[in-house]
Amino acid sequence: MARESASLYNARVHAESPESPISIRGLTKRYGRLTAVSNLDLEVDQGEILGFLGLNGAGKSTTIRILLDLLRPTAGRASMLGHDCQKDGLRARSLAGYLPGELGIYSDLTGRTVLDFLAGLSGKPIDREYRGELQERLGFSDDDLRRKLREYSTGMKRKLGLLQAFQADPPLLILDEPTEGLDPLAQESFYQLLADLKLKGRTVFMSSHVLSEVARVCDRVAVLRKGELALLASVEEIKKFAARRVRVFFAEEVGVDQVFPPGHQIEKLEPRLWSLRVEGLLGPLLTLLSTFPVADIEVEEPRLEDVLIKYYRREQE
Amino acid sequence: MRAPLVLIGYSLKRVRTLVIAMAVLLAMFQILLILVAGSIQRSGSFEQLGELMPPFVRQILGSSFVALMSFSGIVSVGYFHLSVMGSLVGLSIALGTMPTSEIEIGFMDLILSRPFARHWIITRSIVVMVVSTAAVLGMMLIGTWAGLAWLADNGVRWPSSTLILSLAVNLAVLMLSWNAIAMAIGAGARRRSVAGGLAGLLALAMYLLDYIARAWQPAERVAWLSPFRYYSPFEMLMGNGLSGKNLAILGCITVVGFALAYALFSRRDVSH
Repeated sequence: MARESASLYNARVHAESPESPISIRGLTKRYGRLTAVSNLDLEVDQGEILGFLGLNGAGKSTTIRILLDLLRPTAGRASMLGHDCQKDGLRARSLAGYLPGELGIYSDLTGRTVLDFLAGLSGKPIDREYRGELQERLGFSDDDLRRKLREYSTGMKRKLGLLQAFQADPPLLILDEPTEGLDPLAQESFYQLLADLKLKGRTVFMSSHVLSEVARVCDRVAVLRKGELALLASVEEIKKFAARRVRVFFAEEVGVDQVFPPGHQIEKLEPRLWSLRVEGLLGPLLTLLSTFPVADIEVEEPRLEDVLIKYYRREQE
Repeated sequence: MRAPLVLIGYSLKRVRTLVIAMAVLLAMFQILLILVAGSIQRSGSFEQLGELMPPFVRQILGSSFVALMSFSGIVSVGYFHLSVMGSLVGLSIALGTMPTSEIEIGFMDLILSRPFARHWIITRSIVVMVVSTAAVLGMMLIGTWAGLAWLADNGVRWPSSTLILSLAVNLAVLMLSWNAIAMAIGAGARRRSVAGGLAGLLALAMYLLDYIARAWQPAERVAWLSPFRYYSPFEMLMGNGLSGKNLAILGCITVVGFALAYALFSRRDVSH
């Protein structure tokens, strides 16, 4: 698995494009003896949604903060849409919308004040109609905007954070755990919104701990482990390497003394039911089964979580 | 240019309650002093009051003691009373550490993730400080003139407008210098409590150094280190004009402090 994922990683680290929405080369950030990010190379393609994953402290937020020039890298460089994040940070940030992990805003302000204030800092006019549309889609009423933040629930603060990040309709969105605290309806609206933005050619770089969400909305996944890139591949590619559960039902009793091809893990072998976990292609198993009285076959789709959790476990070890 | 103005406007709104409250309180304090000075004047007790003063206070005040024990002297106290100076230096430190507080709560993340240059954060803080200083000292001056016009007895000798304006200007520059020192400390600190605490302790130490040096000769050798050394209300009470040298030194401290704040803030990690 490690060898396979390494090859995926290598295949994906392609030549740096000067106009890539996000281009990171040899990025390193150290705090004294602690290395938060180590020699990170990453390229985000135009119009894709890239899930940026890792356990707490893996270096996700540090990387995001370097992109926004909130943190200064120890080595390496990063650029957004062709603009160096440090040397040409103003232009780089003028093209990005950012949702921080925690919305650090004074609680005595109203939602509208926050949106107008942050829109004012963006230096370009906000399309009120578009903002209204976003509000509607996220289920955020004008009355909500008139309330002070101290009256907001966690989910409402998150929605406000999404509104401020999206309101200028930037070509690049950097979202730090965007659905944390959102109710299922709002999550669904958010996913729809992301799908529409993708259709419009916007690029999204989002960190998340919700693996099912990543599997659903992301085109590719980058996994950070102790500050290093452990995996970079498309969701489909990752799924190919996940073991699928296959249940075979027989019309009559069969022998259980079978030799299975490599990559087949036996969960249960009974005269009328075999339950297996199969890594890779199903061809060898089907060849084997061709001589048996098979009544039915159930193949469970592989889950992204199964692969990623393995990566996470390795980090803990 | 619109974005910096938005931030300045927003920041002024945030501090307005504190600044207005302090301005009103200090203006009332000026009026209170005028009432006290009038009362002492009417009872002819300035001489008795002077006799009540301990010898070391007389030593510290020197020849300005006589000038202080008068109607105009007591009115002028409103510009160098410990509580007034403490409040104003406290305000300067609070405003100087505003960027540190914004980093601490994560607000700076939202500001600087916009196309907004870091130097505007410091410039904004300086503008807020200058406006606040002008507002507070302006209200103190209004309090003094209004109090004198409405409450002072006929025939009493008012402090000259030159004296009051000189005290206010010197105090304003002293406030700016402490604001710059606090901002420089804050630009390198992660927590406002640490930056504010350090700046506050430094201010207290410098005030005591200046105070002690007036009575104890050995401390005189290092007293030049204290910014308070360059605010000399008693000399002004004696009729000496506003010292250009004092203003220049405080101005230098202010410029160096702000320059340090700009330099540190432009290089630091903005993380909470």
